[in-house]
Amino acid sequence: MSEAPQTEKVIKEKTPLTLLRERRGGMSDELKEYFKEQQRIRKALREALKWGAKSVPEIAAACGLDKQATLWHLMAMRRYGEVVEASEQNNYPLYALKEV
Amino acid sequence: MAKIRENYDVLVIGGGIAGMQAALDLGEQGFEVLLVEKEPSIGGVMVGLNKVFPTLDCSSCICTPRMAETSHHDRIQLQTYTEVMGVEKTGWGFSVRLLRKPRYIVEEKCVGCGNCELACSIDVPHEFDYGLGARRAIYIPHGNAIPQKAVLDVEHCVFCGKCEKACPTHCIDYAQEPVEVTTSVGAVIIATGLTITPMDAKKEYGAGKFPNVMNPLAMERVQSSNGPYGRVLRPSDGKVPRSIAYVQCAGSRDRSIGVPYCSRVCCMYALKQALLLTHYIHGVEVTLYYMDIRAFGKGFEQFYRRAVKEGVKAVKGKVARITEADNQDLIIRVEILDTGRVEERRHDLVVLSQGLLPSWHVKGVISAQEAEDGFLMTPQAKVSPSHTTLDGVFVGGVAAGPKDIPDAIVEAGEAAMAAANYLLRTGWRATIRTQLKAVK
Repeated sequence: MSEAPQTEKVIKEKTPLTLLRERRGGMSDELKEYFKEQQRIRKALREALKWGAKSVPEIAAACGLDKQATLWHLMAMRRYGEVVEASEQNNYPLYALKEV
Repeated sequence: MAKIRENYDVLVIGGGIAGMQAALDLGEQGFEVLLVEKEPSIGGVMVGLNKVFPTLDCSSCICTPRMAETSHHDRIQLQTYTEVMGVEKTGWGFSVRLLRKPRYIVEEKCVGCGNCELACSIDVPHEFDYGLGARRAIYIPHGNAIPQKAVLDVEHCVFCGKCEKACPTHCIDYAQEPVEVTTSVGAVIIATGLTITPMDAKKEYGAGKFPNVMNPLAMERVQSSNGPYGRVLRPSDGKVPRSIAYVQCAGSRDRSIGVPYCSRVCCMYALKQALLLTHYIHGVEVTLYYMDIRAFGKGFEQFYRRAVKEGVKAVKGKVARITEADNQDLIIRVEILDTGRVEERRHDLVVLSQGLLPSWHVKGVISAQEAEDGFLMTPQAKVSPSHTTLDGVFVGGVAAGPKDIPDAIVEAGEAAMAAANYLLRTGWRATIRTQLKAVK
């Protein structure tokens, strides 16, 4: 009787990043939700700014977002070079997408 | 990461302006200093301030050269992102336990280019801007940070690996873990600085729930050119505020929140911020509600007069309550002390002049005693203000009690001199101890 052919198992060495993720127990549900929400808001802000410069209340109204959160996200996008302050109208600065 | 040696002459706890001053003074006298800072950068509160009173000099322009000098000094070893876990007296010296927190980067390789930060996928509120601005999960603490090295906030890491791919020097090291190290020192200086009374301490002022009621350190960041908004805006909706109020003694001289003392700096920082607001926003109206103005330092009274002359309205009145209007403006209910009338006034933004608290407590770490107010006890405050209740442990700056920057620097210098005297008295020298051990 011939022996069954042995399958060669390739054991892949875990990367330090994988090991860190395992040590930390992976991403928490809270962080996953936070990240997802951030992606959704950023997409909405980019969409709202496509049609020209807007103030925080205008962007918030267009996206159905809270004004305080809108400001925070806009400032994050400004810090990392996605948004610029374009002008000012009725005591509100207007923000626009940075032209690439 | 530099290796912690077996012996140092002095351990300085805290890398703010007082800790740096003490370390530099000792280093210049030839003593070997270990400077430990819990944050990823030295500079403390001062490096985040906009300007200093009464000269209106740029705060970071004064602080940053001091930070650079400290980090480059031959006799000062800087240990950032490290906690002091225990300091035990052993004969004339002290045995010290430290916990080095992982930055997840190899410090020697990181060139501070910020590529990892740009590549990172997630934004989180930035502590340096009191949550008003954003940083990434991996980030350089701020533009003036020393060391200019990245740090990974693993709590917010989404484990995407983009930082590793973006790093030109391959310095990302996900395998790092916290490391406990021990060393011996001949004397200790505590210069752990300040925090402010919590926003929710005063229920009648909104308990931290109104976005347009700000803390004074957040206002420092908002006024800074490298602040979260790049200009002065109110946090609720990004409006340029046209009417701003300062509420004095909003966290000091108040037994109801356990802070009966005067914090000594609130009148002056509020006047400074108020005056600067009149420079930054054309036509702004700034009102300062105060019980009494304590402008006791050199040039302070002149500064108060200048602020009033340049348009700051100083109103002697006690603010009883702050409520929020529909558009998130704020309604201040105040008793005007000159007329005895109670009025309701509307403002776009309110800054609470919160008091100072110690940022760190020694309990369980060092057996020096704290006073009732939580600041370190200095039994001979009149003649030896830096001496604590434990021989060989000294204190400098706000860790001993509220004070302004010049006083903190003077006191830190005194602490350095007292530590030097103690070392000479005890004969402790790190270099000699190391040589003796080698001979044995």
